[in-house]
Amino acid sequence: MNMSAAVTAPVAIRVHDLHKSFGPVEVLKGVSLDAREGEVISILGSSGSGKSTLLRCINMLEVPNSGTIEVAGEAIRLKTLSDGRSRPADQKQVDRIRSELGMVFQSFNLWSHKTVLENVIEAPVHVLKRPRAEAIEEAEALLAKVGIADKRNHYPSHVSGGQQQRAAIARALAMRPKAMLFDEPTSALDPELVGEVLRVMRGLAEEGRTMLVVTHEMGFARDVSSRVVFVHKGTIEEEGPPDEVFTRSRSERFRQFIKS
Amino acid sequence: MDIQFALETFWSLLSALPLTLKLAATSIALGSVLALGLALARLSGNLALDLFARAYVFLFRGTPLLVQIFLIYYGLSQFPAVRHSIFWPLLREPYWCAVLALMLNTAAYASEIIRGGLLSVPHGQVEAARACGMGRFMIFRRIVMPQALRQALPGYGNEMISMVKATSLASIITLMEITGVAAKIISESYRVIEVFVVAGVIYLAINFALTRLVAFAEHRLNPQLRPPLPISAELKGEAH
Repeated sequence: MNMSAAVTAPVAIRVHDLHKSFGPVEVLKGVSLDAREGEVISILGSSGSGKSTLLRCINMLEVPNSGTIEVAGEAIRLKTLSDGRSRPADQKQVDRIRSELGMVFQSFNLWSHKTVLENVIEAPVHVLKRPRAEAIEEAEALLAKVGIADKRNHYPSHVSGGQQQRAAIARALAMRPKAMLFDEPTSALDPELVGEVLRVMRGLAEEGRTMLVVTHEMGFARDVSSRVVFVHKGTIEEEGPPDEVFTRSRSERFRQFIKS
Repeated sequence: MDIQFALETFWSLLSALPLTLKLAATSIALGSVLALGLALARLSGNLALDLFARAYVFLFRGTPLLVQIFLIYYGLSQFPAVRHSIFWPLLREPYWCAVLALMLNTAAYASEIIRGGLLSVPHGQVEAARACGMGRFMIFRRIVMPQALRQALPGYGNEMISMVKATSLASIITLMEITGVAAKIISESYRVIEVFVVAGVIYLAINFALTRLVAFAEHRLNPQLRPPLPISAELKGEAH
């Protein structure tokens, strides 16, 4: 991707001053992050740092206590309940914005009662109301693209973890999302299956897709992403282009993190 | 054992089969709707609904069905308010009293079976549906319920078999279903063995059919548990 274009491209996702607590534990302590169109941002951090929570707040799988999320310039409206918790003010808005963001989970989360193909067409047909035949055609192209066209009539339990995750990526792509959110997409995979998923993600990055990737894959962060964000104890500790932060980080913690 | 008499009895009891089936089918069907409501109440996160459903299950699971039938059939008519209500034309019929008791009773058990099914659906799959922009109702209808049903089916099969057998209690409140007719034949012939063996065989046959039906439904609903189609079959399908 062209780095200079990234600086001037419109903001796809804007996170501003995000705070999130689970009970007494403050997981995010004021995080701000802009993802411009075409950027691939790797979000790194040790477990419990808040990086997954940050990603899950973007599509409101976790509702932040305060702060704002904007997707393509549209802020998600929140309201505060009487007990101090916040909730989306308009669930329809949240559902619509979610349909514009593709999410890939650590544990794949394919619907086990549906075949691979049915998983991919489910939301396009029922959420976006696209004609079924058209959705199937697009789904088959996507499954071919992630390399599992021959598995389209298999149920998720009959294919490998890597194939399940690639199906999940196809499912997310089928919504023609404005941005993709990856929540540790390779962490649940056997080592020999990690490569096939990373290859698909690399292909998506090369297409110029906007991607936010929570990952432990240093190689991916270094080679594929346009920006690396290091989350530590609920704040962004280090941020910058990978060749910069990996070679001369000002953060002692980040240097420790990549060494381990 | 008098085979000739047993055969005659068989034909007499068979005439009572429709009533037994009607009692079972009606109470299972109505009970399943109530059970789903109770299961959703338990899982609603609303304290009042949750407590109501818990109290309901405690009450109807913890007291004998026969006591419930007596209370409804003999008890309800004691209240003038019931006798003057719009439900009286139904509640004065022993048939509907039996259906009501059976239905209320099965709903208590079935609600727990359905609740177990609903809880068995991995939360991640619900989250994935949410992340696609599906609304609550669509997630319930397309993701949760189909899987919960599959999970609940074996347990629900048990409960349906219990219900078929429980219809025999309706004979106590004058209904001439299989057991009722059997008791009548015995009071005239004093041949307990033949009559009750034949009655037992008929119940066994009903439940055999029911078991096969549930097994068939299980097979149809669970394609993901069957081995995948061999590749060659798939390719053949494509060639056509």
